[in-house]
Amino acid sequence: MTNNIELIFEKGFSEFPCNFVPSMDIPETQIDQILPKEFIREKINIPDTPEFVIVRHFMNLSEKNHSLDRSIYPLGSCTMKYNPRINEVLCRLPGFTQIHPLQDENEGSLELIHELGMQLCEICGMDAFTLIPSAGAQGELAGILIMKKYFENQGIKKDKIIVPDSAHGTNPASSAMAGFSIIELKSDENGEIPLDQLEFAMQEGDVAGLMLTNPNTLGIFDRNITKITEIVHKYGGLCYYDGANLNPIMGMTRPGDMGFDIIHVNLHKTFSTPHGGGGPGAGPVGVKKHLISHLPCPQIIKEEEQFVCIDEHENSIGRIRSFWGNFGVLVRAYSYIKALGADGLKRAANMSVLNANYIRSQLQPEYDIPYNSQGRFNMHEFVVDAHLPNDVTAEDVAKSLLDRNLYAPTIYFPLIIHQAMMIEPTETESKRELDRFIQAMKDIYQQAREDPSIIKTAPHKTPVGRLDNTLAARKPILRE
Amino acid sequence: MDYVPHDNKEIAEMLAAIGVDSLSNLYQDIPKDLILDQLNLPNGISEPDLLKDLTKLSEKNKQYSTAFIGAGSYFHYIPSLVDFVISRSQFFTAYTPYQAEASQGFLQAIFEYQSAIARLTELDVTNASMYDGASALAEAAIMAAFLTRKKKILLIKGIHPEYVETVKTYCWGRNFEVEEINLDQLEEKVNSEIGGVCFQSPNFFGEIENANEIVTKVKNLNKKTLVIQCMTDPTCLGVLVSPGKTGVDIFVAEGQSFGLPPSFGGPGLGIFATHDKYTRKMPGRLIGLTKEINGDKEGFVLTLQAREQHIRREKATSNICSNQSLCMLSALVYLVSMGKTGLKQIAMQNIQKSYYLKTKLAEISGYQILSNKPTYNEFVVKCSNYQKLKELCKANNILPPLDLTRYYPEMKNCALICVTEQNSKKDIELFLQLAKEAAQAE
Repeated sequence: MTNNIELIFEKGFSEFPCNFVPSMDIPETQIDQILPKEFIREKINIPDTPEFVIVRHFMNLSEKNHSLDRSIYPLGSCTMKYNPRINEVLCRLPGFTQIHPLQDENEGSLELIHELGMQLCEICGMDAFTLIPSAGAQGELAGILIMKKYFENQGIKKDKIIVPDSAHGTNPASSAMAGFSIIELKSDENGEIPLDQLEFAMQEGDVAGLMLTNPNTLGIFDRNITKITEIVHKYGGLCYYDGANLNPIMGMTRPGDMGFDIIHVNLHKTFSTPHGGGGPGAGPVGVKKHLISHLPCPQIIKEEEQFVCIDEHENSIGRIRSFWGNFGVLVRAYSYIKALGADGLKRAANMSVLNANYIRSQLQPEYDIPYNSQGRFNMHEFVVDAHLPNDVTAEDVAKSLLDRNLYAPTIYFPLIIHQAMMIEPTETESKRELDRFIQAMKDIYQQAREDPSIIKTAPHKTPVGRLDNTLAARKPILRE
Repeated sequence: MDYVPHDNKEIAEMLAAIGVDSLSNLYQDIPKDLILDQLNLPNGISEPDLLKDLTKLSEKNKQYSTAFIGAGSYFHYIPSLVDFVISRSQFFTAYTPYQAEASQGFLQAIFEYQSAIARLTELDVTNASMYDGASALAEAAIMAAFLTRKKKILLIKGIHPEYVETVKTYCWGRNFEVEEINLDQLEEKVNSEIGGVCFQSPNFFGEIENANEIVTKVKNLNKKTLVIQCMTDPTCLGVLVSPGKTGVDIFVAEGQSFGLPPSFGGPGLGIFATHDKYTRKMPGRLIGLTKEINGDKEGFVLTLQAREQHIRREKATSNICSNQSLCMLSALVYLVSMGKTGLKQIAMQNIQKSYYLKTKLAEISGYQILSNKPTYNEFVVKCSNYQKLKELCKANNILPPLDLTRYYPEMKNCALICVTEQNSKKDIELFLQLAKEAAQAE
């Protein structure tokens, strides 16, 4: 392609034998006797590439990719915790992978789905779970559609949802996909929900409810959490808990007990399933009793030791994708919960909080940490406002971390902090690795003061230097 | 086992550094009455015990030696290198490549996938994957409605019933209207108020529709209405004319057939491709080529993010964030491993073997092929005694074809049969033998 990039398509031949086709053992019929001529394809423009060439190509690509297994991956709100290897073995058992979604003898899969649902009910304090949503955002959509169905069934028109300004972008986007408009609520000086404004918004009358991330994206647990759900319920609204940040509270407290009606959790965050370069994940949704019938189909219930599948239900929001969701991801999460058990889950939560607060305590001399007054502590993550000397920005710091063989935190989010760097170490990082990260952050600060040019032009040690995002968007080249 | 790498001494040091006495101090923001004593779950177990338990659980599922079922999830051969590549830590333990300079490996792989799908479909632009075929179709319908500013979508009969339900759910969310119609109702139903017409080909019953004819008809009725094609097994593109050639506006497919096992229905991936002119209205991530700011090297970045939820929030084209990246990588490795030669051979085997079984089955009294349209690797047969056929298949360790009453109660004794390259002549002959026996049984 160019001097530094060679695409896989350049490494193949116009014709080369393929080793992955079984022998043809039946008599063939002329293709034009099976298909009309206009249906038959003339050519396929994908080169034939020898196996070893492909393997080497992808090995070389993989080496140009930073990953969790190489270093701390402190992406805030992404919970990049260790992916236990045993789970990769278990999800590949042929009794799971070679099972068709429409076959009758599927008791193992149904039991796993049912059991994982029960485990999540216990962890979250809910009454039922659906495991079908394929990601957090799809879980949000399912959850908000459940709200819509709930009010539609009662003949009540409610078309607004309250979302705090610190919310993930998926919250307003999911609400819009369910036909709701958004009332954005500004966090107060402590990063919490101002109760008077919440009440004021709820009084409007056509508000379906509140969508809240707790601990929020600042890593702060809202101390008024019970009052919040009380206010929303007082005006007939429903409370939706975005469980993206469930990790620090597992075994400590439960969203259901706080008064929430609906929750989604991210199995690829809290429950250790791999992030896979962007997916697949899973975003199970839990509800309280009064909303169970609205869950998407199919639903599984256990009746007298038998699993019964409900494929259709008039109160259900319907299907949101095919079959049972990302089953392979569910196997990994189920294994993780079984491996850790009650104590392990709680300890994981506690250590994620310990790790985050440890980094926070060590960065404070150099870095400004807003919303952090009165000696409070964070949960699993915290946000620094990285306005460094000599106009060094959060992006500059992020790129400089890459030069130190570390991955960067989430930057420029949440939007309420100008130079936000959202840091979430997770519980599976050792003190040694946390110290390495802390030292790197301190070194960068020092360098910003003394010799900012290196930082402003970072990264220097990655396969390519800082890339031009503006150019990419102005003249999009999306294929070769 | 909690995978925490601290000992007690280290924990004490860290608490001291923070300036607290105990872990519970860190939780002071949680109201006391909300603090839980103990989760009501069993204690954790060791890795060997876990392996034992899960193996036992997996064995409660029945694994068959051969299958004649598809209906949206397929048994195709998966080259060994596929799982090897996606099992590299560098790929599967990374996340969305937000830091482009340290993520060139995955970014290039996505760019290559976008290119491979463009080559396969002969369409311009492909996103970095959707969750599955069904949600991809739903997102395509919504995209069509937004592009045309029309609130009604038509679904032509023959779309996978679970896909139909998914489109209905998504459209209900957006307050758009959906109507299911027959293919011969296009003249009657397409007008200036229709945002999109969706059809599946090969359809749920295996029939290959005349895509070009559908496009021409719809465009003649209303030039602005978008035509969306979906399919559940895109291996057929090895022999069938591409969506780029037939003129559809948006193409979506379930990509599980490209290097992923059925795995009880997921994870697979939603393939989503369209024309350049619609790029900025597409859902999902896109990777673009760019240059260094201070150098000459080229590199890849996430681009056109102004469509996406983290920038546009409620005005985004979709809420999708996490997608099916690792499955997309499987699909890419599969496609390049097969190459044009393998893709064509696989597609030929599917169509030939399926045609062989269909022809032979039609010769057995008691079996009636319901459609005379051409089919790819699936077709519907009306059996004199489906239950018996099913029993005999199971007794011979064959996963039987789908009982269509599962989705269409009126289609009694109708089976949806799928034959892939994985079914040997021996399997097919055995199936024919059992079919004969079933028809003769009382």
